[in-house]
Amino acid sequence: MKTPATLVEQFCQAATRAGALTVRCVSAEAAIAYILRHAGGSIVLPDCPAALQLNLAERLRAQGGKVICGDLFQAAPTAAAGITGANFALADTGTVVLESTAQAVRLASTLPERHFVLLNPHKILPDHMAAVPLLRRLHSRQSPDFIAFITGPSRTADIERVLTIGVHGPRELHILLLDELSDDFLEN
Amino acid sequence: MSRRARRYRHLIDQALSDVRRQEALHRFGDAYLAARAEAFAGLDFAGLRHDIADMKDTVRNDWPAYLHKFMQQAETSGAKVFLARDAQAANAYIAELAQCHGARLAVKSKSMASEEIALNHGLEAIGVRVVETDLGEWIVQLAGQRPSHMVMPAIHMFRDQVAELFGNLTGQQESEDIAHLVEVARRTLRQEFLNADLGISGANLAVVEDGSLALVTNEGNARLVATIPPVHVVLVGIDKLVPSLEDAVRVLQVLPRSATAQAATSYVTWLRGPAPGREQQRELHIVLLDNGRSKLASSEEGRDAWRCLRCGACANVCPVYQAIGGHVFGHVYVGSIGIVLTAFLHGLEAAAELIQACIGCRSCVEVCPAHIDLEHIILGLRRRLAADEGVGTIKDLVFKRVLRNRRLFHGLLRTAARMQKPLTGNATSIRHLPLFFSSLTEWRTLPAIAPRPLRDLLAEQPTATAPRLRVALFGGCAAEFVLPDIGLALARLLRHFNIELVYPEGQSCCGIPALYAGDAATATELARQNVLALAQTQADAVITVCPTCTSALTRHFPDLLAGDPTLADCATGLAAITRDAAVLLSEQLGNASPVAPTTIAGRVTYHDSCHLRRGSEVYLQPRQVLAAAGWHLTEMAHPDRCCGFGGSYSVLGQPAIARAIAQDKLDDIIATGAEVVAADCPGCLMMLHGLVEKRGLPIRVAHSVELLASSLDDQ
Ligand code: SF4
Ligand code: SF4
Repeated sequence: MKTPATLVEQFCQAATRAGALTVRCVSAEAAIAYILRHAGGSIVLPDCPAALQLNLAERLRAQGGKVICGDLFQAAPTAAAGITGANFALADTGTVVLESTAQAVRLASTLPERHFVLLNPHKILPDHMAAVPLLRRLHSRQSPDFIAFITGPSRTADIERVLTIGVHGPRELHILLLDELSDDFLEN
Repeated sequence: MSRRARRYRHLIDQALSDVRRQEALHRFGDAYLAARAEAFAGLDFAGLRHDIADMKDTVRNDWPAYLHKFMQQAETSGAKVFLARDAQAANAYIAELAQCHGARLAVKSKSMASEEIALNHGLEAIGVRVVETDLGEWIVQLAGQRPSHMVMPAIHMFRDQVAELFGNLTGQQESEDIAHLVEVARRTLRQEFLNADLGISGANLAVVEDGSLALVTNEGNARLVATIPPVHVVLVGIDKLVPSLEDAVRVLQVLPRSATAQAATSYVTWLRGPAPGREQQRELHIVLLDNGRSKLASSEEGRDAWRCLRCGACANVCPVYQAIGGHVFGHVYVGSIGIVLTAFLHGLEAAAELIQACIGCRSCVEVCPAHIDLEHIILGLRRRLAADEGVGTIKDLVFKRVLRNRRLFHGLLRTAARMQKPLTGNATSIRHLPLFFSSLTEWRTLPAIAPRPLRDLLAEQPTATAPRLRVALFGGCAAEFVLPDIGLALARLLRHFNIELVYPEGQSCCGIPALYAGDAATATELARQNVLALAQTQADAVITVCPTCTSALTRHFPDLLAGDPTLADCATGLAAITRDAAVLLSEQLGNASPVAPTTIAGRVTYHDSCHLRRGSEVYLQPRQVLAAAGWHLTEMAHPDRCCGFGGSYSVLGQPAIARAIAQDKLDDIIATGAEVVAADCPGCLMMLHGLVEKRGLPIRVAHSVELLASSLDDQ
């Protein structure tokens, strides 16, 4: 399935409106260079298909990145960045959908200051309703099952309704659009 | 006045003296409406909420089966499921769980259901420290208060107060910079998350088809509650069940848009079974809370409230909420839905004063994404309250003895008109008379009863020759006895359009004052008298100059007489042909001989009456009438915000609230610089006139019908 350019465009606009940064990467090298430029410190990296496929840990380390893999429980709370893939995304609201049943994926996407999401731009669906059949498949594939819809960074308006970014979760959400990723909607 | 009522009045006075908070809630209300409109732009709100109402009703009608299936599915997914009949059962289950795991610290993500059962209290009693992690909720917890809003718990507080609270906690002076305060919260709460033994959250949706839960947040705290502590308890009301994932997604379309005017919140977490932890298997417990919800589902009058999504929109737009805030206009749940839930979950007694404080403006009904007619439910509660506690001795006497007997009622009003003359300026003379609009007090001038009622004046008017149409005018008490000029103006216009006007002799009070005070028996008797009187005229249409009367004729008469074998059909028939004067006039403008003023009459601003705008969806027609009358319209800010009167015959339970609301309206009017303010409701006109006169402002207050009639003079 190919995602039409307009859908990618719509997704990027909506994600930007929600406060995310969207970056189109021509190659894995470009994505890696971007991450290293913006990580700002140690990076937690769960074992996920995107990381394995791109051999991310090794390549980041080769260029001087401080990457932590394996048990992330100690490292994640103080890490500068976390990297995950994405199962797919929704154009109407600029949402990335991340199956995060493995605790490492949850830790990497909730605790660090910034969250880098690697997304194959061919996996963008028009809207939430279009996501339902996939949600159903993900839910029925395994149990337990934990799926996150992520739209922009963590935010609050609880003090005088002033929008403030990064109360509990990441302050920055970087969505890297990269063709060389799995095109399986059930994989991230 | 009962002790309870006295105490409540004191709370209102206190709330009303907090000007800073009132201003903040107003600014919030305004910003919310604009942002909400933008968030729903391009979507079919009416269609969406209709579908949601349908879906929720389907579940409600068969909730035990849906609940059973959900519990099965959730158990299959690996969760432990417990159905708690009441607060006590839920608290006991969670407390035992905490003890089993030797829990010392629980982190909580915002859950109104946990507020409802006072869960923190129960856990603290057994030595578990409970930390709220939603920023607003945490602030409220530190302040030792309860949330004043379902979505924004600390909306009543300001940054300096938060800085002080945080300073007490950290032991150092904290700056009032909001970004800094949020950072303090992040740092402090992060530690609590990492040390917690127990995570507690609510859930926005419980999906029957696969036993999954959806948690909606912006801060990301629910994700941490569901990720870090080894045990996660989800406390969720049984009214949160939705059949399928499609239904869940439909709710997600309207929920954030209604709650915070966002297209989507930062996070929606779909949870099915206990997600794995570090070493040990984590546990997920789902506590399904009934606690009065099944009673709600089977209550004829209240069951629509089962549909509620807890978005908080009904509070955001409520003028009473904006005036006194959620601590006074709420119990655990606040605002409009707060009244209803309090009555069903915490008992009618707990809701009694809240029920009286609602002014019936229907703003909440307009925005509710679950299509709940909250005002109608509140009306039903009033009725029940009156049955329990009585409508008050004086009112009771007036309704039963006077109002039901038209001759006596009208006779008294005529006497009052004569009596007040020698007492001009002595406002109190009016207050003892059986006239509802006389509960008006010193903050505005009182309306005087007209020397001659409308029916007498109309009898002297010439009639149309060879009319094209025959319409019956339903005057209503205010137009008949206080502002008869409106009716005279209408008679003149109808002659101009060659329409015959009849004024049925047997018509009386529409009964709304009795109905709103909870006296349904008197209201039914009046509905009967009026339907009989109107039916006899065999008119082509029934016209009113008062939208509250319109709502009586179109909504309440058919309701009240539904069980009456001879009059039920008659009432429905009349309802179908009843219209506000502005609607008829705007139709006639295109017809026949148009009213064509030659000069611009001046600048007018228009106030949309609650019952006209939200009761009958009429707002374009009066503006057309004004334009035809040669007036240049300058729209005021919030033209459809209540003037404080809440319909023509509101029996003002809380005059102090009305006064606060009225001042806002007056400010909006003054800001337009218009020389005339028009409205299509005698209640609003009395309210506005009183305000303007009291302040000595050179602003004329008029019904749009009067303005159109005077344009005939220019021809
Ligand atoms: S009808 Fe008006 S006053 Fe009453 S609860 Fe609704 S918005 Fe508030
Ligand atoms: S009653 Fe309607 S508007 Fe109020 S919280 Fe519930 S869903 Fe929202």
